[in-house]
Amino acid sequence: MVADWQKIVAVATALGVIGMWLMLPRGGARGRALGVVLGAAALGLGLSQLRSVGQWATDGLFLVLAAIAIVSAAGAVTFRKPVYCAIWFGQSLLGVAGLMLVAGAQFLAVATVVVYAGAILVTFLFVLMLAQPQGRAPSDRVSFEGPVAAAAGVVMVGLLSAVLGGFVTRADTAAWRPTTPSPEARAGGVLAAEHVARLGDALFGRHLVAVEVAGTLLLAALVGAAAIARLATDRNGRPRPAAVSDDETVV
Amino acid sequence: MNEELAILNNYLVVGAVLFGIGIVGFLSRRNMIVMFLSAEIMLQGVSLSLVAWSRFHNDFGGQVFVVFIIAVAACEAAITLALVVALFQRRGSLDVAAWQTLREANQPPLLEPVLPEETPAVERLPRLPTAGVQPDVGREPSGHRKNL
Repeated sequence: MVADWQKIVAVATALGVIGMWLMLPRGGARGRALGVVLGAAALGLGLSQLRSVGQWATDGLFLVLAAIAIVSAAGAVTFRKPVYCAIWFGQSLLGVAGLMLVAGAQFLAVATVVVYAGAILVTFLFVLMLAQPQGRAPSDRVSFEGPVAAAAGVVMVGLLSAVLGGFVTRADTAAWRPTTPSPEARAGGVLAAEHVARLGDALFGRHLVAVEVAGTLLLAALVGAAAIARLATDRNGRPRPAAVSDDETVV
Repeated sequence: MNEELAILNNYLVVGAVLFGIGIVGFLSRRNMIVMFLSAEIMLQGVSLSLVAWSRFHNDFGGQVFVVFIIAVAACEAAITLALVVALFQRRGSLDVAAWQTLREANQPPLLEPVLPEETPAVERLPRLPTAGVQPDVGREPSGHRKNL
């Protein structure tokens, strides 16, 4: 017994595998447009199977933000030039931050944009400028095992969606229902107006030890990064000779 | 349909899609920076799922977890960039296949496929019109800064 939505998820998965494979760099530009079309079809099929909340404005906002996040993530993975990958990744972050904002996590939305797009992405762009940002290197023009990688990722998404859809369908129809808090409790809890104060209360009350450990981890990472970057070069900034020969001896 | 259940379902599906796209990128791309970007995309998918669960259960634990994910991602980015810079100085390339001597002993080496030669596009720089006063290049350049 296969339900209609299961067939649609299967078709979307198949289209997604082929589209993702065609979009990955394969040494030429042939078939990329077809891959984009197939990927868009798979995305449309998948998004059409999402549940409706009931208000068209909420649904529309969610769909637009989800499409921005997913399409930009696909661009970040499939573009040949590493600089374009970084820019698409930044746009995907904006989509994810918007989704978090819609779900009521205001602090996390701002923190994602500030920490990821503001700090990490800019540092990435600095390092990318070291080497061939035009993507002419052979390693940027060809990807490892494109079909297998695309199948691995997209089939996993299809299976997860199928399991989740079955779970939600059962929870919706059967006598068994997950116990959810009432809307009033939620409006006084996660969705309260003083959201940041509540989050800070949880962070520095119940999870105080974890916050201290995270601070120690940041300090250790800072020291470690400085040590690694210094060990790689000598005092004049030249790379140190390797302890073991770097040459390709095992062939 | 329970409204909150629908929201949870939608967010979990989008999170799974982001995670899957990250897996595809991490498995198939050869540029070390792009591989790391793919790992960050996977982290974003997981963060989205945690935010959705936090809303569903009316519990701040999920959002606190995302705060720690962001902190660990910052540490990870610092260490990774230091390592990538060190590896780049050694080999002069961001390609992970430059380090394939580290592979398992029974694995065959990666053979670089023969790619068609690519002609770089001719750069067209803009031509500026000549305007303004001709600069006086003959004068002593440091004559007007007596203190130096």
